[in-house]
Amino acid sequence: MSQTSLRTRMLEAFRRRMLIVMGMMAAVFIILLGQMVNLQIIQGETYRQRARMNMENYIPIPASRGEMYDRNFKIGRRNEVIVSNRPSFNITTIPASFKNKEEMAAVIRPLCRLLKISYDDVMADIRSRNPWERVVIREDIGFDTIVLIASNQHLFPNIDWEDAPVRVYNYGNMFSHAVGYIGTISPAEYKRLRDSGYRHYQKIGKSGLEGEYDSLLRGVDGHYRRVVDVRNRIEGEEVGLQAVAGNNIVLSMDFEVQKAAWEAMNDVKGSCVVLKPHTGEVIALVSRPDFDPNMIISKNNAKIIEELNADKNKPFLNRAIQSKYPPASTFKIVTSIAALEEDKWNPNYTFFCPGKYTLKGFIDKDFYCYASHGTLDMYWAIARSCSVYFYQLGYKIGPTIILKYADYFGLSGKTGIDLPGEIQGFLPTKKWKLKTFGQQWFDGDTVNLSIGQGFVSVTPIEMANLVCGIVNNGIIMRPYLVREVLSPDNKKVLRKIEPKKIREIPLSPMTLDTLRQGMRLAVKSGTAARLSYLKVPIAGKTGTAQTRSKRTDDYSQHAWFVGYAPFDGPVENAVAVVVMIEYGVAGAVGAVPIAERVFSKMLSLGYF
Amino acid sequence: MFRKNEIYRVDYVLVSAVLAVIIVGILMIYSAGFDPIDRTNSGLYKRQIVWFIIGFILMIIMTFVRYKSLGDYCLYIYFFLLTIVIATTFFGTPIRNTRAWLTFGYFSIQPSEFMKLAVVIVLARYLELRERDMRHLRELLVPTAATAVPVLFILMQPDFGTAMVFIPLLFTMLLIGGADVSHLVAIISIAAIALVFPMFLTYREWVAAQDESIIVNFFKDYNLLFSVAGFLMLIAIAAYAMHFFMIKKAFRKIYIPSVVLSLGLFFSVFIMRFLKDYQKKRILVFLNPDLDPHGSGYNVIQSKIAIGSGGFFGKGFLSGSQAQLGFLPEKSSDFIFPVIAEEWGFLGATIVLGLLCLIVMRGAQIALEAKDKFGSLLAAGISSIFFFHILINVGMVLGIMPVTGLPLSFVSYGGSSLLVGMISIGILINIRMNKFVY
Repeated sequence: MSQTSLRTRMLEAFRRRMLIVMGMMAAVFIILLGQMVNLQIIQGETYRQRARMNMENYIPIPASRGEMYDRNFKIGRRNEVIVSNRPSFNITTIPASFKNKEEMAAVIRPLCRLLKISYDDVMADIRSRNPWERVVIREDIGFDTIVLIASNQHLFPNIDWEDAPVRVYNYGNMFSHAVGYIGTISPAEYKRLRDSGYRHYQKIGKSGLEGEYDSLLRGVDGHYRRVVDVRNRIEGEEVGLQAVAGNNIVLSMDFEVQKAAWEAMNDVKGSCVVLKPHTGEVIALVSRPDFDPNMIISKNNAKIIEELNADKNKPFLNRAIQSKYPPASTFKIVTSIAALEEDKWNPNYTFFCPGKYTLKGFIDKDFYCYASHGTLDMYWAIARSCSVYFYQLGYKIGPTIILKYADYFGLSGKTGIDLPGEIQGFLPTKKWKLKTFGQQWFDGDTVNLSIGQGFVSVTPIEMANLVCGIVNNGIIMRPYLVREVLSPDNKKVLRKIEPKKIREIPLSPMTLDTLRQGMRLAVKSGTAARLSYLKVPIAGKTGTAQTRSKRTDDYSQHAWFVGYAPFDGPVENAVAVVVMIEYGVAGAVGAVPIAERVFSKMLSLGYF
Repeated sequence: MFRKNEIYRVDYVLVSAVLAVIIVGILMIYSAGFDPIDRTNSGLYKRQIVWFIIGFILMIIMTFVRYKSLGDYCLYIYFFLLTIVIATTFFGTPIRNTRAWLTFGYFSIQPSEFMKLAVVIVLARYLELRERDMRHLRELLVPTAATAVPVLFILMQPDFGTAMVFIPLLFTMLLIGGADVSHLVAIISIAAIALVFPMFLTYREWVAAQDESIIVNFFKDYNLLFSVAGFLMLIAIAAYAMHFFMIKKAFRKIYIPSVVLSLGLFFSVFIMRFLKDYQKKRILVFLNPDLDPHGSGYNVIQSKIAIGSGGFFGKGFLSGSQAQLGFLPEKSSDFIFPVIAEEWGFLGATIVLGLLCLIVMRGAQIALEAKDKFGSLLAAGISSIFFFHILINVGMVLGIMPVTGLPLSFVSYGGSSLLVGMISIGILINIRMNKFVY
């Protein structure tokens, strides 16, 4: 092999390899260029957004939440404020603004000592959230603490604060179930409501009117837009969006009546509903036991909420709308109406009460009355609450008609009151009994049904509607608590809530008159005679429900009172009152005294 | 001085591309040092201008030096710089836990940057001398050793990024210098196999948190791996003996893969036994920065945001929010390219990348056209230094290469990098001028 040809061959090899290397280099440059096209052109918008997110901090400006006034609200006058707000601050941080976990711990740990909260709780909360989102470390911080942190900002980098007005429930427990309370939005709620403009750090109405009217009350949060650098130094700040305050609302509730009813029920369990049959306005709504919403709105008080939830007396339960009980003797109103309307029953027809009623059958069965009343007509049967009379009446007309009228009055349907979580009563049917117990409907069931015992159960608000139907000539209005929606500055009424008719039962004047007379007689010289001395003619009906409670002591009976006043005045002035006391011994003992205090208070306020 | 007409032989394309890139770099260092809140500047750009002036003088000097003499004195250059690198490793000024700099009062020098050039010169010289024997495996020993020694000391500094550049540089030089491709592939395969097993194990234990599976237990059994490696080695020896006595090329197909696999296994056992856990994890994070989003991953995320948000036309000079508000780390040195891409957009970044590509390709062209083998290899080596710096740096900021601290040639702030770059350009010009001299 000659020298020259070897040189040439090697030169050729060198050139070939050099060209391959150059080709690979060019390929690499093309790949780099391709990635640049990908990042800058194809994904450019995404990265522009992320760059904006890097440099812009949104500091929320909380909207002030609407206040609530009682029914006597007048524009331009000092009013009874049931729910308001007071200025306060939150301590917040954005976890992602810390360089690493150690740096975050070095700031958060002393901060927690200063704020007297548990470091572990705070870290658990931070870990459960998106690190780029604002986390509230502590709510409701006084101005002096803010000054302390602000003057030592080098010790607390990345710690921020924001205005956060705190909700004040001026009467604490008194309105707890009607007004409800607010709380930090839960992750599940946030997921559901994110699209409607809710933010993860906001408060949301959790129950009562706060929950029902949340969208009206909350307003729209604004925000400052802050341009910051990596050390959170502020480059510029501007108001990005002004906050829009929430609307104030005027309740149909009367502070004085609510107070009287609430105080009257000081040491009992139960509920009381006062409403105007003509419109459906709820004047008072008390449920006992109750709770203080001021104690539970802050996120730092989760423990109190837990304790209340675990309480076996169930203070969170709104017993007026979320609890059902056997209506007992108050149900005799329904049986009476059914008989009068469908069976051509005359109120002057009589039955004899020997103290018990024996149902003939394969085995005879006795149903007892609490006394032997002798011969009585319907008026006296209602007044004295004679069970034997209604056993016989109910047996005569049968369950179908009774249930038909119970259904007309909406005893197994929601009233549509503007409070969340309402439940409906229960009316048993033949079909239901066969399905549930595998048994026929016995005559004994009919007899029991006619005096409101057995399977039937109703909520107090449904009973209130029953009374309203009698007062209001068969028309039942939707009960409601909010009358007016005001502008945030209280200068304008934006919306008046119109009364809404939900049921109309064609009852003959004779039927209505019979019931009213019977209930009036019960107050004049019957089971509710305690109310007779009041200067307004009251009509009413008591009830004493045998419960299926496992408790065996003397108090295992629920006490009912349903009634209205004035007995024969204009419908516009009428007020219906329902009192339901759990384990209240008997209607006359447990419930009537409370109704008495409500009526006398309303009398002094000039309702009648 | 220049002989007649020689001044016209200066490669003005190359010079203007380099000057343009350096000026862009200085502008960007100005932008990166600007503080929009205090309206002040860190002043690094002034230092870079000083380095540029010194570098320009050195570049002119290098065009006069007979480049062949670099080959003649290559050992002196090499050992002189090696001594300095070793001295730096032990007596250098620690900056961020790395002893890579020698400080002389007002300025500091990074000898490992110069070492790259020295290694290229010594490799070029060696490959030129052994041009005809390069297809033998034993000829790879000296170049590998000449590269490995400084790499080891640079790793001890520890400056992982700089050390990493030497390896592709060596392979490129060997490939161009005429080494047997199958040898190079075999060496790369051995390294790959040696790394794959420990990394797989570390990944399973650390990331996937599964340490009890049949596969893992199999790889954990060092004795088993050792026996497999030994068995393969025996096969290889047998095949080599057959090859030796029967002179049949076919046996290469048996013994080369066997040796590769066997050595790979041996080394993997070695790495598994002697590397500490945190060292293995570091290699793993180097290969996949996503495993450590708070550490090196953060830089790449911010860099991608800066580049991506620049769009086509960019946000304008001094107006990049990522660079100006400090979200971008190391923005005047390693992460200078994102500043260009953010403020001048795709357009500006493409022009800069195009100029860098032009410099590399021009260097390669000079290598092709050089008068002698030494000049060719030297030019190719210099081109490769630039190329790998660009690949590793731009690849890193674009998020397609592992994160290593490596400056972008000519653009990043850094005296040593700029000086070496300009000296190298001087050599390239020199080689090109001399192709006309016969």
